[in-house]
Amino acid sequence: MIAVLGLALGVVVGFFARPVIPHELEPYLPIAVVAALDAVFGGVRALLDGIFDDKVFVVSFLSNVVVAALIVFLGDKLGVGAQLSTGVVVVLGIRIFSNAAAIRRHVFRA
Amino acid sequence: MTRKSAPGEAQYKRPDASMSLLINIMDHSLDEGYAEATARRAVRGEGGAISRAPGTRLLVAVGVSLIAVVVTMAAMQVRATAPQAEKERRDLVNRIHTREAEADRLQDEVESLRDQVDAMQDRNLTPEEVKRAELLATTTGADPVEGPGVKVVVDNAEQDAGKDDPNADPRQQAESLANGRVYDRDLQQVVNGLWAAGAEAIAINGQRLTALSAIRAAGAAILVDNRPLSPPYTALAIGDAKAMRDAFERGPGGVYLRHIGGKYGIRSTIGTEKKIKLPAAIGITLRVAQPEGAPPTGGTPIAPPPAPGTTAPAPRPGPSGTPGTGTVSPSESPNPGSGDIGTKAPTSSTTPGGAATPTKSGRPTRTPTGGNPATSGRGKPKTDNAAARDDAPTHEEGQA
Repeated sequence: MIAVLGLALGVVVGFFARPVIPHELEPYLPIAVVAALDAVFGGVRALLDGIFDDKVFVVSFLSNVVVAALIVFLGDKLGVGAQLSTGVVVVLGIRIFSNAAAIRRHVFRA
Repeated sequence: MTRKSAPGEAQYKRPDASMSLLINIMDHSLDEGYAEATARRAVRGEGGAISRAPGTRLLVAVGVSLIAVVVTMAAMQVRATAPQAEKERRDLVNRIHTREAEADRLQDEVESLRDQVDAMQDRNLTPEEVKRAELLATTTGADPVEGPGVKVVVDNAEQDAGKDDPNADPRQQAESLANGRVYDRDLQQVVNGLWAAGAEAIAINGQRLTALSAIRAAGAAILVDNRPLSPPYTALAIGDAKAMRDAFERGPGGVYLRHIGGKYGIRSTIGTEKKIKLPAAIGITLRVAQPEGAPPTGGTPIAPPPAPGTTAPAPRPGPSGTPGTGTVSPSESPNPGSGDIGTKAPTSSTTPGGAATPTKSGRPTRTPTGGNPATSGRGKPKTDNAAARDDAPTHEEGQA
């Protein structure tokens, strides 16, 4: 229940507060979204597996976002930002897919 | 990230060892922290269930709301930038439309001015002069013309040969590809052949040729008066259709076409048409020249369009030999392309500099022999600068 409230609050804050993203941080937003999605699917799967842990959930989300942004930042500085972003997206994408598959197995038993 | 290794795995090399990265990602898609936390809880005896402490749930709420903020922000960002791109695109489209309308308007203006010029001309010229002006307008390409004529279509060779053969030498293939292409000089030969056969007006793919038209190559493209054409190339020539076709087929143009058709597979068809409409040449400018030292007289607005300097190609029935006294007239560059029928080196299709190259195909072969225009007996002073002409190959005079 409180999680749903948090979700609503987050959407409302993101929608109405219109936080201005600093121009330098703009390239990291897509990566942050992918990392956030990874954390969400991981959390849901862990919930269904019965091993959910709130601390792990929050920390994994934050660290995912930070590490992903850091990799892309480093890549930009080294001139391989596009390639490293691709790497991050590929790895997180595979994780999202397999977590989504696990969730699907849980929910639909198929 | 420690992999539980089965005993004996050290020696055993997994067949899918090269995919270990992918397998690792697939197998460990769930954050290992969850498993470890569960294990810790189990050790502490809390069991694997989700803890129900309020602080815990608050933490989850914070995490979820953070995620929601990030995703919402991204969505807002996308929504904010999309209209921007759309707006820029619309601006560009609007600009294109504006310019197009402007160009249309200018074209209309050109036409109305041309009509005005015609009307003034008719008022101010004697009937004989009007007749001569009309003739010159036809021969210089200043007016659209129509009548019976010949249609010559030239197209690249079909590229099927050797395409399916995997063992074919790619270099040879490239060569045959280059050989099977229609070059500027091929079109020059066709056009010269048509002039020689008695054509009164010629257009290639809708581009009317004038005495100063250039057919040249830029890379793989053929430019006529600096406008790129794409194959198939259709040369329409107005004249006595049947006689012209026969003369063309017998003459150098037909011989050349048959030769490159046989040797390189260049496809060409020659036929007669009952009625051909050729547009007026675009970009014709009036050029007036005076004898040296004479007071400027040529600039009068209603100067008889067939100014003394016109290089009107003297058509057979025309007043050949009259024009061009003491005037500057563009030199007719000879037509060196008429030699060398057998060698079709792809590299020479480009013409650096443009001067004294076979690129000027204006109307060099008026004589029935199709040979050197220098023998055409016009005897005009060759005062024009070839390089300058290369810069602006479309200029022409004789506004009618």
